[in-house]
Amino acid sequence: MKDLVREKIIQVARKVKEDIDKGRFPELSYPPNSKANIKFLEEKGYLFEPKSFSTISGDRVKSLRTLSGVLYGLSRALDHLENGLTMTKRDFYYLHKVQKFKGTLFPKEQRETDARIILMELLLGMPREAFSITSDPRGWIYGDIELVDRSGRLIRANEVGEMGYSVPPRPENITFKRIGVKAVVAIEKVGPAKNMIELGIPEEKKIGIAILQGQASRNMRRFLRMLSDEGVPIAVLTDLSPWSLRIAATVVYNSINSAHVEGLAVPEARFIGIKTDDVEEGFFSEYKFALEPLTQMDYKAAEDNRHLPNLQAPIWQKENNWFLEKKMKAELEIFKAMSPSARDLKRLYVEYLSMKLEEALGISI
Amino acid sequence: MRRERIEEISAADFFYRNRAIAGFDNPVRATYTIVRELVENSLDAAEEAGIPPKIMITMERIERKENGSDLMKITVRDNGIGLSAEEIPRAFGKVFTSSKYRLIQSRGTFGLGGTMALLYGQITTNKPFIVSSAKKGDYINRMTMMIDVQKNEPIVIKREVLGIAERSFTAVESYFEGSYARAKRKIVDYLYQTAIVVPYADIMFVDPDGVVFLFPRSTDEMPPRPKESLFHPKGVDLELLQRLIRASRANTVKGFLKTSFQRIGDKTADEVLALAGIPAEKRLKDLKKEEIEALYNALRSYDKFMAPDHTVLSPLGKKLLEEGIKKELRPEFVYAVQRPPSVYEGHPFIVETAIAYGGEIKPAGEIQLYRFANRIPLLYDATADVSYQVAKGINWSNYGIRSLEEEPIALFFHIVSTKIPFKTVGKEYIAAVPEVEREVELGFKTCARELKLYLYRIRRKESLAKRAFLFRRFYEIVAECVEDITGERPSVEVLLKTRFGDLYEGSGEGEDNSGGEES
Ligand SMILES: Nc1ncnc2c1ncn2[C@@H]1O[C@H](COP(=O)(O)OP(=O)(O)OP(=O)(O)O)[C@@H](O)[C@H]1O
Ligand SMILES: [Mg+2]
Repeated sequence: MKDLVREKIIQVARKVKEDIDKGRFPELSYPPNSKANIKFLEEKGYLFEPKSFSTISGDRVKSLRTLSGVLYGLSRALDHLENGLTMTKRDFYYLHKVQKFKGTLFPKEQRETDARIILMELLLGMPREAFSITSDPRGWIYGDIELVDRSGRLIRANEVGEMGYSVPPRPENITFKRIGVKAVVAIEKVGPAKNMIELGIPEEKKIGIAILQGQASRNMRRFLRMLSDEGVPIAVLTDLSPWSLRIAATVVYNSINSAHVEGLAVPEARFIGIKTDDVEEGFFSEYKFALEPLTQMDYKAAEDNRHLPNLQAPIWQKENNWFLEKKMKAELEIFKAMSPSARDLKRLYVEYLSMKLEEALGISI
Repeated sequence: MRRERIEEISAADFFYRNRAIAGFDNPVRATYTIVRELVENSLDAAEEAGIPPKIMITMERIERKENGSDLMKITVRDNGIGLSAEEIPRAFGKVFTSSKYRLIQSRGTFGLGGTMALLYGQITTNKPFIVSSAKKGDYINRMTMMIDVQKNEPIVIKREVLGIAERSFTAVESYFEGSYARAKRKIVDYLYQTAIVVPYADIMFVDPDGVVFLFPRSTDEMPPRPKESLFHPKGVDLELLQRLIRASRANTVKGFLKTSFQRIGDKTADEVLALAGIPAEKRLKDLKKEEIEALYNALRSYDKFMAPDHTVLSPLGKKLLEEGIKKELRPEFVYAVQRPPSVYEGHPFIVETAIAYGGEIKPAGEIQLYRFANRIPLLYDATADVSYQVAKGINWSNYGIRSLEEEPIALFFHIVSTKIPFKTVGKEYIAAVPEVEREVELGFKTCARELKLYLYRIRRKESLAKRAFLFRRFYEIVAECVEDITGERPSVEVLLKTRFGDLYEGSGEGEDNSGGEES
C-alpha cells in the first residue's frame, strides 16, 4: 500500500516536471466529486464513477496556486509516509502556516486546506488515510472478536477495557484472527451501548457492540465494512430522528461528501431501529409520552432528508414522513423510561434486540 | 474709493480704521502680514525689471517682552528695479502712492500694503525705518525715514549715499512689535506656496531662531510680461469713471471715450453717447453729475463691446506651474492646464488648474488644495473658496479616485485677473462667480482625465508586475516540491522566461487575473 501511494505521488510530480521541462504550463487532471461523477445504487450505496474530468493548470495565478498547493501537500504527505508519521487535517492546515508562504500558500482558514485534501484524494484516487492524513479516531468495538492490528499484538475486543477496542484511524492494517459473534450491533449513542455491555449482553447473547458515538467516523465505517466482508451481519441501532436516519444511512450507503472514497459503505448492514412502527404499534407504543418534540433544526433536517439520494427508498421515506407529520422523535434512552430497574432493562434490551435481529437479519440470539 | 476724501483724514487714522482688513489686528497676524507685503513688493519689483526675483528676508528678535509680542526687526532685500532718491520717500512715506494704478496685472494694487507694514512698525516701536535702494549704475541711497502720520508725509531723518550700484536693488529695514513663534507656520507656508507659484524666484528666509529656509528657483524662465492697457468700459465703476474723466486731456466726451477705453472706436462711441443722451461733441469739462451717471449707465447697458483685451494678464502657464509644483511637492505625477481667457463683469481673467499625485504627497485626511490669485498664495478660508466647492462637487470616482481626502492628491487653482473676484475684503477666497466656477470645473476635470489615464497605466503595470511576481513565487514552490518528491528540479526559469518574458518587462498584454484565491 505504502509503495503504491509513493508511486502515485511520484507519478503526479513527474508529470508536472515533464510539462515544465517541455516549456508547457503543467496540467493535472482529476475526476471532481461532482454530482455527474457520483452514482447511487440501493444495493451498493454511493459509487464514484468518473465520467468527467477537471484540470488544475499552471497558466493562471488562481489555479497555479492550487497546483502548487497540491504539490506541496503531496510532498508533505510523502515525507510523513516515509517517516511513519501521521497528521490530522488541522496538522495539514498548520503545515501551510509558514512564514515563507506569506502571500502564496498561507491559508486564511482551514477550509482551504481541507478542500485541498479532497483534491489530493481525487487526484490520487485514494482516501487521505492512505497518504497519512487521518482523523482523530472515534468508535469502539466490544465483543468476542480476536484481531491483530498495526501494533502486532493479538487483541481480544472484550478484554481491552470497559468500552472495548478503540478502532484505530487506519483499520486497513487489521487482520481478524477469530470472530465469535453472531452479529455486530452498531449503536449511535454511548450510554445505551455501555449499558448493554455492563449488563453482560454481548457475552450472553454472543453479539458484538460497535459504539459509533454520533455520526460514524470514516475509520469506524471502514471497520464495519471489513467485518461485513468477513461475513459478520451488521445491524444499526439509532435514535428515531431526522439526524439519526442520516447516521444509519451513512453506515449503509456512505455519504456524498466521501462518495469518492471506496470501502466506506456497508450495503449488507440493516437499520433495525428505532423505527416508527416500534413507536406507533410495536415495542414502544405504550410509551408515546416519552417521545421528544422535534426542534426547528430537526424539522429542517427532515425536510432536507426528502432530497438525499441515499434516503430515497420507501423504507427511509416512510420513517422521514413520520417526522414531518408527527413532529416528534424517539431516543434510545427511552428504555430507561420503561425500566427503572437493571433487571427489567436487561430484559427489555434482549427482547428488543432478539426481535429486531430476527426480523432484519434472520438471526436468533 | 474717493482719493480726495481719504487724503483728508490722516494716515494714522486710516491705519486704525482699516488695520483688520489690512491684516494688522494682532501681533501674530501683523508679523505674517509684514513679511507678506514686503515680499510681494519685492517680487513685483523684480518682475517689473524682467529678471528672476532673488529675495532675502531676515528677521531678528531684538528684545523679548513679557506679553509675548517681542521687539523684532525685519530686513527684506531684493534685486528688483530699485528706486531713485526721489522715489524712495514717495513710495514708502505715504499711503496711496502706487506706481501700479493702471490696468495691468500685478500683486500690488493700492499703494497701501508696504507702507502700512512700515507704519505699523513705526506706531508699535516709535522707531524709524530704513530704505536702501539704487537703480543700476546710479547712487546708492540709504534713507532713514518716518511717516508724518498727521500730514501723511514722509520725513527723511537721515540720507546717506553709499557709492554707485552695480545692480539695481532695494532693501527695507523695519522694527516692529510682533510674535514670531505663532506666526512661523503661516510665514513658512506662505513662502513655500510662493515658491510653487513663482518657481523662478530664489527666496531665502533667516528666521529669529537662526533657522534658514531656502526656496531655490528651479528655472530662469519667467512668464511673459503683461501688457499695459486701457480700461474696458464694462470694467469700470462710477468712481473710476469720474477719476478717468478728471485725468483725461480730451476735449470732448467722445474723444474721452475713444482715448480712455479699449474697444471704443468712432461708431461705438456714437452709439454709447446716443444711449446716454449726450451730444457727441459735448465738452468733457461741462459734464454734469447727472450726465456722468447717464454715461455710466450707458456703458453698463451697451452690450456690443468686444470682450476685454486679456493681454494685460500674465498667467503662469502650464509649464511653469508644473515646474513649481514638481519643485516643491515632488509628486510622481503632475498635470496643469491653462484655460482660455474669459470675462466676468467686464474683467478679463484666466484660470489655471493642476493636479499632482503621489511621490512625496501623502494622504492628509482632508482635501489638499493650493490656491493662488495673481501669483499670491491664499492661505485662509479654503473651504469657502469657489475652487473648494467645485472640487467637492466633482465625482472623483469617475476618475479612478476613491476619495480626495484619503489619497495622495493635491489640487491647484490659480486665477489671474485685473480684478480678482474676492468674496470679502479679507481677500482670502474667491467668490463663486459663475464664469469663474465654470473655468475651474473644466480645468479640474481636464487634469483629472489625465490623472485617470496615468493611474490606469500605473495600476495596470502594478497588477501585471504583481501577477508576474506571484507566478514566479508559485513556480518556485512547484519546483521545490517536485524536486522534493522526485529528486529532480524542473526548469521553471525557462518556462517563465519563454511564457512570461514580456510580463517581466512590464509591457505584457493579457487578461488580468491578479491575486489568487481558490474558490
Ligand atoms: N521693493 C521695492 N522695489 C521697488 N519699488 C518698490 C518696492 N516696494 C515698494 N515699491 C514701490 O512702492 C509703491 C508702494 O508700495 P505699496 O506696497 O505701499 O503699494 P502697492 O504694492 O502698489 O500696492 P498694495 O497696497 O497692493 O501693496 C509700489 O507701488 C512700488 O512702486
Ligand atoms: Mg505692495
